[in-house]
Amino acid sequence: MDANETASRLEKIALIESLLFVSKEPVEIQRLMEFLGCGDAAEFAAVVKQMEALYAEQPTRGIQLRRAGGGLQLVTKPDFHESLRAFFTVKQKVKLTLASLETLSIVAYQQPVTLAEIAALRGVNPTAPVRTLLEKGLIVIAGRKKVPGLPALYATSKEFLTYFGLNELGDLPSLDELSEFFEEKEQPSLFDRR
Amino acid sequence: MEETLGGSDLLFSAGSTAAAYRVQTEYFEGPMDLLLHLIRKRRMNIMDVRLGEITSEYLAHLQNIEAINPSRESEFLVTAAILVYIKSYSLLPKTEEEGEVSDERQLVNRLVEYEKIQKISQLLNEMEEASILLWRRQEGDESFHATEFTMDKMSAFQLAEIFFSIVKKKEAGGFLTIASKDYSIERKRQEILLLLEKQGYIDFTEYLSQLNTIEELLVSFFTLLELVRQRKLIVVQKKLFDRIQVWKGASDPAAG
Repeated sequence: MDANETASRLEKIALIESLLFVSKEPVEIQRLMEFLGCGDAAEFAAVVKQMEALYAEQPTRGIQLRRAGGGLQLVTKPDFHESLRAFFTVKQKVKLTLASLETLSIVAYQQPVTLAEIAALRGVNPTAPVRTLLEKGLIVIAGRKKVPGLPALYATSKEFLTYFGLNELGDLPSLDELSEFFEEKEQPSLFDRR
Repeated sequence: MEETLGGSDLLFSAGSTAAAYRVQTEYFEGPMDLLLHLIRKRRMNIMDVRLGEITSEYLAHLQNIEAINPSRESEFLVTAAILVYIKSYSLLPKTEEEGEVSDERQLVNRLVEYEKIQKISQLLNEMEEASILLWRRQEGDESFHATEFTMDKMSAFQLAEIFFSIVKKKEAGGFLTIASKDYSIERKRQEILLLLEKQGYIDFTEYLSQLNTIEELLVSFFTLLELVRQRKLIVVQKKLFDRIQVWKGASDPAAG
């Protein structure tokens, strides 16, 4: 890579940083590429990779680049969580309740899904958690099922991906992988408990 | 399979750890939750479970009202009825008909599905824990105004207004009052503290909207006020008529 190319890449990184700094939501990679006039996906990936490394390697940076919600986003580094809490006087960040998490799990893996289908799987009435999830923007109504009554079909939103730090739905483990994931994890924890 | 069974033996024989572990799991969100717990306790494979065998244990748990989510009592009872039916059916001489899925099979299939859901929930929970440490752009501003809300800035009149707005919402939906039941502040208090212990946080507006009788609504609200007075809880409401959020109080030595 010659000096000119290096300079142009650093310029791109600076420009992307300024765009991400101002954006509240993750910015789609496609959109950034079009704006930068960068047609080469491999080249752009290299730029992003270098940018990620710059944040990660420099201890003077309090922020990092994250791929989430199908785009790029600047977020703080995890080490500063406690300090941020103290500065903004946040007692504890709001977490989802067990009922909401269960409902969200069903929507994530069975979407699009109706209220009745969620109820059948959970064995309890999901109306309240569904309302909470809609308010938080983690799920959306994605249409209506063509059965009597035309019940609403729920699906996860882009905010769902961003909230959980996922780039796309495919990043969630499949149900088969899930049991492996837990088997692997459960083994060492048995020793911890002793 | 043998290995995992051996492993869980170790787990359960580890005296104090096992006890601490049990306290946390002995609150059941729904009937599926409770059934899975009973199956795991017996270290049975879900697919081989004879549901008839755990029916009496299930019924015994229903007696202990504090261990289940009371606003879900009816759903626990529906499952109890299914279990009793399965048990009595299994005592009858068998007339096996091809192609018909037995009630027991059906319930077992639901349990298998529910077990997956629990795993996914756990996964999402872990992802949330990790993700929550990374602050996004707008979070600072939002939280800045949301916190340090103290109850004494609000008059009793305003509080009453919020309460009646919830009651009104409930009335619009129509109360389903079936039998009168005594609610005590003491029992409610334990329930709320247990729920906080388990979840760390309650969306009180959501919680209230699940309740079916006006008595329980009233008792819940008074209990909330009482707990706030004793500084057991921190209650935050960003603005009037917004949702009421509840955390464990800092004065509680158990809270970090």
